[in-house]
Amino acid sequence: MESILLFQKKTLRYLGLFFLSVFFCSGIYAQSTITGTVSDGNGPIPGVNVIVKGTSNGAVTDFDGNYTLNNVPGDGVLVFSFVGYEAKEVPVNNRAQVNTVLENDLQSLSEVVVIGYGTQNKESVTGSVVSLDGDELEEVQVANFQQALQGRAPGVQITTTSTRPGADNASIRIRGVRSLSGSNDPLIVLNGIPFSGGLNDISINDIASIDILKDASATAIYGSRGANGVVLITTKSGQKGQKATFSYNTYYATKEVFAKYPMMNGPQFVALRQATALQQESGVPIYENYGADEDPNVNTDWQGLIYGTGLQTNHDFSVTGGTENGSYSFGGGYFKETSVLPVENFQRYSLRAQIDQQVGAFRFGINSIMNWNVTNAAGTGIYGNLSATPILNPYNEDGSLKRVVSMPADDFWVTTRSTLKGLGEGRVNLQKDFGTYNNLYGEVSIPGVDGLKYRLNIGLNLRTSRDGFFNGQGVANIDPFAPNSAGNSSNLFQDYVIENLLTYDKTFADKHKVNIVGLYSVQNSKSESSFLNARNIPNEQFLFYNLDSALLEDITGYGSDYGENGLESIMGRAIYQYDNRYLLTATVRADGSSRLAPGNKWVTYPAISLGWNVANEKFMQDVDWVSLLKLRAGYGETSNQAVANYATLGNLGVRNYNFGDTFATGYFVQDLPNANLGWEFSETYNYGIDFGLFNNRLSGTVEYYTTKTNDILYRVGLPSTSGVGSFVGNIGATENKGLEVALNATILDNPDGFTWDFGVNLYTNRNEIVSLASGQDRNEGQLWFVGSPINVIYDHKNIGLWNEDDPDFQYLQTYEPGGNVGMIKVEYTGEFNEDGSPVRQIDSDDRQIIDPTPDFQGGFNTRLAYKNFDFNMVGVFQSGGTLISTLYSSAGYLNLLTGRRNNIDVDYWTPTNTDAKYPAPGGIQDGDGPRYGRTMGYFDGSYLKIRAMTLGYNFESSLVEKAGLNSLRLYATVQNPFVLFSPYHKESGMDPETNSGSDGSGNAQNSATGTAGFISRGIATIGTNVPTTRNFLLGLNVKF
Amino acid sequence: MKQIQFKIAFLVFLAVGVGFTSCSEDILEENPRNVFTPEFFQTENGVEGGITALYTHLRFLYGAWNYYNSTETGTDEYTYAQSADGNFKDMDLSGVGSIISSSAPPAGPWFSCFGAINTANGIIENAEAVGIAESLVAEARFFRGFDYFLLVQTYGGVPLDLGSGELVFNTSTFRGSTRNTVPEIYTKAIFPDLELAVQNLPEQPRLTGTATKNTARLYLAKAYLTYAWWLQNPNNIPTYPDTPRTDPDGKDAAYYFQQAYNIATTAIDNPGPYTLLEYFYDVHWAPNDRHAEMMLYADHTEESEIYNGASLGFGISGDQDNASVWMATWNYTAIRSSDNVSTVQREAAQSYGRPWTRMAPPIEVFKNTFADKDNDSRYDATFTTSYRNNRDKLSPADFTEYPNANDIPVGPGEAVLTFLDEDDPAVDYSGNKASIGAGSLPGRSDFVINPNGISRVVYPGLWKLGTYRTDNNGGLGSPNAGLTRPFPIAKYSEFYFIAAEAAVKGAAPQGGKSARDLINVIRERAGKWRFDNGEQEERIEDNSATLVNETPAVITIDYILEERSREYFGEGYRWYDLVRTQTWDEVAASYSISGNAYGDHSPQTFTRTIEPYHYLRPIPQGQLDAMDVSQAEKDAYQNPGY
Repeated sequence: MESILLFQKKTLRYLGLFFLSVFFCSGIYAQSTITGTVSDGNGPIPGVNVIVKGTSNGAVTDFDGNYTLNNVPGDGVLVFSFVGYEAKEVPVNNRAQVNTVLENDLQSLSEVVVIGYGTQNKESVTGSVVSLDGDELEEVQVANFQQALQGRAPGVQITTTSTRPGADNASIRIRGVRSLSGSNDPLIVLNGIPFSGGLNDISINDIASIDILKDASATAIYGSRGANGVVLITTKSGQKGQKATFSYNTYYATKEVFAKYPMMNGPQFVALRQATALQQESGVPIYENYGADEDPNVNTDWQGLIYGTGLQTNHDFSVTGGTENGSYSFGGGYFKETSVLPVENFQRYSLRAQIDQQVGAFRFGINSIMNWNVTNAAGTGIYGNLSATPILNPYNEDGSLKRVVSMPADDFWVTTRSTLKGLGEGRVNLQKDFGTYNNLYGEVSIPGVDGLKYRLNIGLNLRTSRDGFFNGQGVANIDPFAPNSAGNSSNLFQDYVIENLLTYDKTFADKHKVNIVGLYSVQNSKSESSFLNARNIPNEQFLFYNLDSALLEDITGYGSDYGENGLESIMGRAIYQYDNRYLLTATVRADGSSRLAPGNKWVTYPAISLGWNVANEKFMQDVDWVSLLKLRAGYGETSNQAVANYATLGNLGVRNYNFGDTFATGYFVQDLPNANLGWEFSETYNYGIDFGLFNNRLSGTVEYYTTKTNDILYRVGLPSTSGVGSFVGNIGATENKGLEVALNATILDNPDGFTWDFGVNLYTNRNEIVSLASGQDRNEGQLWFVGSPINVIYDHKNIGLWNEDDPDFQYLQTYEPGGNVGMIKVEYTGEFNEDGSPVRQIDSDDRQIIDPTPDFQGGFNTRLAYKNFDFNMVGVFQSGGTLISTLYSSAGYLNLLTGRRNNIDVDYWTPTNTDAKYPAPGGIQDGDGPRYGRTMGYFDGSYLKIRAMTLGYNFESSLVEKAGLNSLRLYATVQNPFVLFSPYHKESGMDPETNSGSDGSGNAQNSATGTAGFISRGIATIGTNVPTTRNFLLGLNVKF
Repeated sequence: MKQIQFKIAFLVFLAVGVGFTSCSEDILEENPRNVFTPEFFQTENGVEGGITALYTHLRFLYGAWNYYNSTETGTDEYTYAQSADGNFKDMDLSGVGSIISSSAPPAGPWFSCFGAINTANGIIENAEAVGIAESLVAEARFFRGFDYFLLVQTYGGVPLDLGSGELVFNTSTFRGSTRNTVPEIYTKAIFPDLELAVQNLPEQPRLTGTATKNTARLYLAKAYLTYAWWLQNPNNIPTYPDTPRTDPDGKDAAYYFQQAYNIATTAIDNPGPYTLLEYFYDVHWAPNDRHAEMMLYADHTEESEIYNGASLGFGISGDQDNASVWMATWNYTAIRSSDNVSTVQREAAQSYGRPWTRMAPPIEVFKNTFADKDNDSRYDATFTTSYRNNRDKLSPADFTEYPNANDIPVGPGEAVLTFLDEDDPAVDYSGNKASIGAGSLPGRSDFVINPNGISRVVYPGLWKLGTYRTDNNGGLGSPNAGLTRPFPIAKYSEFYFIAAEAAVKGAAPQGGKSARDLINVIRERAGKWRFDNGEQEERIEDNSATLVNETPAVITIDYILEERSREYFGEGYRWYDLVRTQTWDEVAASYSISGNAYGDHSPQTFTRTIEPYHYLRPIPQGQLDAMDVSQAEKDAYQNPGY
């Protein structure tokens, strides 16, 4: 590196060559063997790299800090380096013994934060950034990083939207939602390159750190992609001069159902059916006649027939090391998860490689991650087993299982562990994904300007997946002749990013530190897909591999799709620090996008943030107990790429028709073109305090922010009389405000005895729609209301049950024509007559906006260590808010209270149980369930849950040494051990965390129906999905 | 040396970097490959596709369960049944619900027709520019007339200007709306469009089921007739937006009654490809679908799920599902033999299909409308009156005979439950027979129910619209899919009714085409039998003379309405017929039926409250919500009373 300095002045070039030749031509002096000890203030340091400068001749200190080096020239220079210490050069001066003391590298001790197109010391960061290292993520071993992030970072809300293995099952919301119809997903950047792969493509064990940029002053460098926050993932890499180490990590976990869904047993169910009689004029139960396979004396546990033990296992290895001028890391892994429901599982094979090499003035490198996922989703879900009445007898007289059993109004294909497993190839659903995410780069220091570098990043990503399903004739169908069906779909996604970066990094006069980044980049993404579905495959052995064997008329669907978009960007960022006291970051980015109409393609985003390290001021020098005190404030604009490809061009919808046997395709205008379509913009103000007290024993961050999003894009529904459904326009605004607190404390710190660390984070976010399309203060179709959050419940307010001793009981028939005692009572919001009677019946005007936002939520973690033992605990909590359980809501069809199907075991109203929570069975209905039955699904969302507890043991280093190892750790973890303070858990015994959400098309990922128009799609729910499991895990980490 | 090497390397490096990025010129250009943009409407393919979409839009109404509900429930033909949700109770107007602006059933035409009208506007405009054949454009005109006619009958006056001007293709994002008056809709849109359609449409359909000259004549005649009634307004039913009952062209009701008569009889004299079938049974016998009497239908196919627009395996009663008949199908699978075996299985056959038990026919249908079940074949060819053991279609097939009524065994194909033609006081309902509270008669193996014993939970099914598939392969097939039959919209027979109604209202008849002559053509045909649906056996019989003799000497509107109900029962005509003739509140004022419980055979009489304002359906709340106008303007936009 030094040689490059020589280019500073033209006249010095030749001189530089001279010095270079001196380096390369050394070796004319005598060679000898040198020994020595390396230590720091506390004692010897093992593992220090010692190298003869300019050669590859090196050694590593042993356990006692000693080293031996042969063939060292007497005038040579030894370079000592070790992670966490400042490298030191010591001339040999013909000595035979060279001892040295290394100094702690304060720079590296202070945490390095990845900020996008660079890194920064935590102390000098002015934006809002949360950093997590890989070890923290690994405390909860899960399939993907999203789940590992749960409860770890303030302002980062992770919601589980599906519990099926391999499902895209988590949504990340950084500081709430802001877009009505655009994506609210953050930008994920993997090793510097925007990541567009699947959620399950990255193994958490490959991750070295995750840095989350939350405010616009931090995300502005990502311009039009940064409005929802940015998650920067850095995978493991080697370090220069690092000794090669091999590590192997593995665990094996068994998964048991956390709690069965609380369904009624036989006698309870018979009583329920009987109880419906009271509400019938005829005095007989609604389902007076038992189904053909029902018998009141039978008591079948349908859940018991399907649940089993799931497993989760992981193996990964890596080799990491470095030389004087390079570093490398590579590894591979295998992950497998099976469900507690039969057949379903997910497997991932991953490969990772990182190389970084200095070649003279150049640096080249590659960072590559590849994965191969196989998801088996051939299960049938759990709803059928929950809804089957417990008095159904699944067995024939000879003890064999029946194929189909009949309830009074429904038939059920008998689904058990053995029937599903016995299907073999009768039902197949296999998705295979291959993803490869690569970053190639080259860097060169520009001659002539000290601190100026040019870097070229080339990001190449490719993901392809193939999804095939086959369902044999009559399989999982009450009709044994239902034709078989099969389908095959494939997707190909490719994108590239080319970034040209100029960086200038220099400190002037020791106090003025300047870092400037300039970027010019282009990005292009393409996606292609095709699918074919057919039925009546003549030979079932074909599965979905020979769809062309079906008759033309048996093709049930086909299609192909294509999308492409491009983004061109110019960005500049300047970071200036004065004396590590005054900090300034200013960013400007301009993006041009193919998605916008000509003339509107380019948009520019500015951001600025300031920081003041108060603790570094002179007047604070005597205040010993304050080690860090920083105030910071930032402002920035970003935008959401919420415009879909081709959205400005308008769109014709397609409707097919048959004229008898002649088939034809029809077109109609679906969307009007809008040449003025632009992006939605978010403006964020962020204020923060970082502090470290008592030698950083207590540290933390408090932040407050406001984000205002304007020009919100949404599909404005036109009145039917316009003859066109809608147009997409920039209309409306939303606002988010929030407070975030993170605290870390080292409560005990005794290297020989106990150490106890505790960390907690909590945050709030208040979201509000500020305006909608002009003149609109509500859009009931989409459940958007000005002054309320984007995600709301819009439903009647359940205030109990109607009882005869209610003062207003005399008006029951006015409020609820045809209503009955024991029915759900909801709040009436209308006028009253003078006599106190209501002027009208309760109707849809009485629906209210219910804000389901929690008061606050967060997580905590604690670590207790004693000698070689350590104990970790990670928890999450939420206070207030509304939890939606479609199990208890009539929308899930499991709480119909009519006796049609099995029912959740609830405390229902009877004439002798009038203070029950749930209505009288068989009373007045809406659809198939009790009137206002949806309101039974709303619960207080508070809970505190321990996500994982781990007990680990690090084997004594002397023992490990003898075995030729560096370290050996054994640990045991229990995940989801228990839940506290949860009203929902108290009533149901179940996990209060959600298990279902909406898929990309907005369909509920469980069987719930009829929630559209009452519950915003963005709200995850608890429904009939794979139940939460309690996992027992045993793991091993080896390093040598 | 080193320096030169470095220089070269550096230049190469820069060249690579810049070279990679210099191709970004067109990276910001869009080249849509997967979407049609509106420009496509300016091509010939686009115009033809637009017309296809107009036919498709028929499916959103004809076959859609909730629109069907709105045309039948609350009339004398149907009331709500045991499993009815609020949609059905609301429409019944019998005190169990009410029709309000957010009611879904009457909103169907409002939500479906304007889109079709705008597509038609676009076709009519673009076709001139592209030079499309007039006969093709006439199909678009037909639909614009058709849709406006449906709207004006349902809601009163509606807007002619969708945002870009009257009858102009709308490309604006305007979010207001102004309603025109009823006479404006008829005289500016419906009549000119349908008259041009009659002129330009071909005699023969372009494709199976497409509009012809006579299809347009049928709607033109009906529009004249309906407008004539509106001008006359005999029962003083209000219109909205309020407007005098005068014709802008200065014509009177008599003129339009005559026009209706003339157009209808012209079509009868020039039938083109259409004819009355010989037997009424064949009009709805599924294997005979798309026959020469059918003029317009919302087509479906079991040949392709893609073009059927709905699942062929399991319907969700969604957008394009033909699911109307499920509403009127009771849960016959609840029937049990006396040893508790389910003897009537769900089957994809015309008598069975998928039960939803949402709509039930009141007892008067069987006592009054179809009083003559023996001579007139139409009762037998309208209802499913016998439910038969079909366990032989199970897998494995079950040919066992199960003890049925009086413990007499009943095998495959034999009647398990029969709805009797006439009340028989000997029917014994004791003991929850067949698990559905059926009755028995001494010596009969089938359970029976008297016409007087019809309840909201057990009642004859609607055979004429029943499920039909050809891919059952001897099994029960796919009874849960939406129907793959075309849903009937218009039939050639209606020309006789239109002409007869116009004649009753004073149109001067031609020789041999008096109201009575015309009605007798229909009744003669009704007397001809070739098959007994109830008995499931051949029945060659001609009772034409008897039926013609029974025709009253003087035909009245009431008699035409009764006859229309016999001919078109349950096909979605009824509400519009009663509204046109302003007789809804009189004809449907009360009905009787037994309750929801199995075994309830004690009919109760229910009274409906049908106010004059009910003759117009409410403007849907969705329209009002989407309009960007003041609350006062929204209030003024709504029909009075809602």
